[in-house]
Amino acid sequence: MTSRQAGRRLMHARARRRSAQSVRSGARKSEPLTAKDLRLMLRLVACGVIFVALVAAKLLLPARMADFNQQLSAAMERNMDVQAVFSAVGRAFSREEGSGVAEVYEAVFHPQAEATQTGATLPEADLPEKMTTQTPKLQDGAALDLLRSFRAVPETSAPTPETEAQSASNLAYVLYSQENLPEGVSMEQAILGFDYCAPVVGTLSSDFGYREHPTEGEERFHYGVDLAADVGTEVRCFADGTVTAVGDSSSYGRYCVVAHEGGYSTLYAHCSRITASSGTAVNRGQKIAEVGETGMATGPHLHFELQREGSYLNPVYYVSAL
Amino acid sequence: MFPPCRIRVSGGFVLLAGWFVLANGWEPLVTVLGAAAVHEWGHWVLLRMLGAEVTGFRLSVLGAVLETDSGRLSYGGELAAVLAGPAANLLSALALTAVAKGRWPAAVGANLILCAFNLLPIRPLDGGRALYLLTAWLAGPAAGETAARWAGTVTAAALAALIGGVIWTTGGSLWLLPALAAGLYWSAGPWFSGTHA
Repeated sequence: MTSRQAGRRLMHARARRRSAQSVRSGARKSEPLTAKDLRLMLRLVACGVIFVALVAAKLLLPARMADFNQQLSAAMERNMDVQAVFSAVGRAFSREEGSGVAEVYEAVFHPQAEATQTGATLPEADLPEKMTTQTPKLQDGAALDLLRSFRAVPETSAPTPETEAQSASNLAYVLYSQENLPEGVSMEQAILGFDYCAPVVGTLSSDFGYREHPTEGEERFHYGVDLAADVGTEVRCFADGTVTAVGDSSSYGRYCVVAHEGGYSTLYAHCSRITASSGTAVNRGQKIAEVGETGMATGPHLHFELQREGSYLNPVYYVSAL
Repeated sequence: MFPPCRIRVSGGFVLLAGWFVLANGWEPLVTVLGAAAVHEWGHWVLLRMLGAEVTGFRLSVLGAVLETDSGRLSYGGELAAVLAGPAANLLSALALTAVAKGRWPAAVGANLILCAFNLLPIRPLDGGRALYLLTAWLAGPAAGETAARWAGTVTAAALAALIGGVIWTTGGSLWLLPALAAGLYWSAGPWFSGTHA
């Protein structure tokens, strides 16, 4: 409605202007359009075509357009801080003023965190440096998106081949930088320095990293891996060590913690029962528990965590899942 | 004492300023407009000194333009008037540095960037006009025209490539797209528009 009104108003204005012109130039009514009128008409037609095309695209491809809109606004948000650019150039210049050629050279060729290139070059030349401060945020978002997209695969289809899970975890390893991880989480693949074995030979049903919580429904960090197996499947100890805790919690269900050498410890949760008792020494491969679905679980599986001196590591590198 | 001076502000400029405020806040807008005012003031002062009359002032998306009856100016005079804008920016940057001792780095930076940007040898900008005037003065208008065209095309194409590269490598920064479009337009412009505007 409004666009049509605007169009009519424009037409009206044009008509008025034309009539004014023709009056000025001697009322020649049959004369073809002047160059100015033609330009105005072309502009109006171009605007109309763009408007109609956009509306048509929005109506015909709503999902595509919503996606495009999101991408576009994400790209638009990656803006530069104009004031910061000005300030950096100004500071570089001021520093230049107070001192000799050496410092000028340093400001231009060895830019520090603040000092961008001086205004002597193109104004655009000092922009890329500003960009680099923006990129971590960018990678963060992209990493999360990618993670979200691949995470759906192991959750929906239960029998995931090992290669896929492995490639997913490798991807996670590549995508995560230290900045966007929660506190106390490391994506490094540590060399353990002792022999170990998989506690359960089962399907990797949930990976280490951000995921939509199966019962709470929100995005949370998953501090271990879930290995799906039947109830009663024996849980074998990851490596030689001592059982430091056996317990029952509302979220972990029945669980036990085993301390290993080198500051490592492992946690086995959602068990149907724990067969080892606290304080006892256990060997690698020894049965310590049985798989269950106690605590906050949506199916029988072992939730397995690996810690090194209080920081969480990704256990997927040491668990040969099916 | 002063001749009547018509001031025109285009809708595009208002839109651009509005967007700039939305995206960056008031402070940078004031900084930029301040630097632009210094720039135009430089042109204006020299034009007055040379006795030319400023007949109008236009603010558009592409920047501020002083309209003058430059027909009466000599090559040297016009060259001086053209270069007075960037010179005013440079002087104000120096003065601000000397007086404020680095208290307003943003204003200094804005002046320097405006100075450098306007010295690009692309025709609507001061650098391009200065190049034309200098070459025309020394070797005749035809040579000036050729020099200005080639310098403008090459610089604008290089600028567009640089901006395109920045957009490509950062994977976004769509705010640079208008600059890219302007670069492409400037590089192709002189060959389409015939002699010159």
